[in-house]
Amino acid sequence: MHISDGVLPTAVTIAAYAVSFCGAAWSLRQVENKDLPKIAVVTSAFFVASLIHLPFGPTSVHLLLPGIVGALLGPVAFLSIFLGLFLQSILFQFGGLTALGANGVMMGMPALLCGLLFHLIRGKTALSHTIAGGICGGLGTLLAATLLAGLLATAGEDFAGVAKIALAAHIPVFIVEAGVSAFAVSFLFKVKPELLDTSRLRK
Amino acid sequence: MTPHNEIHISITALATVLGAAIFSIVLLRMALRQKQRRNAAGRNGDPDWSVPTIDAYADRISFFHQWDPRVKIATLFPYCFIVVSLQSLLSSTIALLVSLGAVAACRIPFARTAKRLLAMAGFLSMFLLVVPFTSPLRGGETLIYFPGMTHFPFHMAGFFVALNIVIKACGVALLMEPLFGTAPLAVTLQSLSRLGLPDSISQMILLSHRYIFVFLNEIQRMYRGMRVRGFMPGTNIATMNAMGNFFGMLFVRSFDRTQRVYEAMLCRGYNGRFPSFIRFQATPKDWGKTVFWLLLGLLLLAIDRI
Repeated sequence: MHISDGVLPTAVTIAAYAVSFCGAAWSLRQVENKDLPKIAVVTSAFFVASLIHLPFGPTSVHLLLPGIVGALLGPVAFLSIFLGLFLQSILFQFGGLTALGANGVMMGMPALLCGLLFHLIRGKTALSHTIAGGICGGLGTLLAATLLAGLLATAGEDFAGVAKIALAAHIPVFIVEAGVSAFAVSFLFKVKPELLDTSRLRK
Repeated sequence: MTPHNEIHISITALATVLGAAIFSIVLLRMALRQKQRRNAAGRNGDPDWSVPTIDAYADRISFFHQWDPRVKIATLFPYCFIVVSLQSLLSSTIALLVSLGAVAACRIPFARTAKRLLAMAGFLSMFLLVVPFTSPLRGGETLIYFPGMTHFPFHMAGFFVALNIVIKACGVALLMEPLFGTAPLAVTLQSLSRLGLPDSISQMILLSHRYIFVFLNEIQRMYRGMRVRGFMPGTNIATMNAMGNFFGMLFVRSFDRTQRVYEAMLCRGYNGRFPSFIRFQATPKDWGKTVFWLLLGLLLLAIDRI
């Protein structure tokens, strides 16, 4: 779920923009020209993932993939997610231009943390990779939902109810995301393990 | 605390209103479905994964098309923040009308803009439905009690807060077409780099934007293959497994592809930036437009503060 324009107080949107810019600038310093294809791939996949709806009981959820983006890109994940969100907002108004900073913080920070965590716990075997992928996928969504609720709460008492509902609405996403991330990571580990290696991205 | 007004609504009145609301929603859905069916003729059952191209109407001539993109972005971006910071319903409604005028002025079919507004509908309707029932009690406001929900009165003040948000969100969303739809994306990015965006970032945006459409093609092909092999999405582990592999495969294939494309680009002399032959020239007319929009923004702020 993306925050739309006009929801957050102006001070919060500007502060979030500042944080996002710092995050993106820090990410950009880790990038070398030869990483460009990989970043473009992950950014586009992040974009495309939000179009794919999976059924969950009577409703359907769409994937966010902050966990996988973090696992694939490590420190550059923040930049990739910020650019993906920019494209989403100019192409079809997921989120909004003024809320871009807030959305960047909301999705980018969890991706960074999950990327870090993934490389700490991934181990050497396929099973440990699968478990680490599942944990990071679920945790990424959980953190994003928590940040969303926190940002909404800064907008005032009026939004406490919405914040709680938004948090609750993410429970199915959290489950589906953990499952899909686990299987995706295990697939990548078997087929192309070098994609999961971000040490090349870290100087 | 000033006393608040209470309005109790009888069941018959509520039933009439609810009935009318449900009826109009059903009508709207039927209209949408009919339109979809017309669009999707011959594609039976494939989910709609189409992405609009942002600059499909960049070659027209209008107020916004003829505005120097650098000046346009540098003006309208702060203006969006002014719209977002509006507090009163009156000023945000005026901002919405201004944005509607801007969309009309940039001569882009309104259907594209309507699609943008639809994309926000879920998030915004949540606000309209939830905030009035959960906002705190303010002095002097009106409470409406619906039958059977005596513990959750409808706060008019909360409703106005939510309505203001919806209007502001639409006001900014409408400006996106004039802002980004009136110049080719490459030109927009070029002007962003003139405004200080690092070159490598605009390269990434251009490449990612290109690959989005390639990927969409790819996932449509892959998904069709899965359906042919009998894949039925459901709430179970098998679906997660299939979708996990689906994404994994998407990454593997597209990474190989982009790697090849990138090497081909290097062979043809790519050195981290595309050569550009775009010349920007800001004329007094461009600055005149800027002054006009800034005055408009100040006027909105003034109305807001009164």
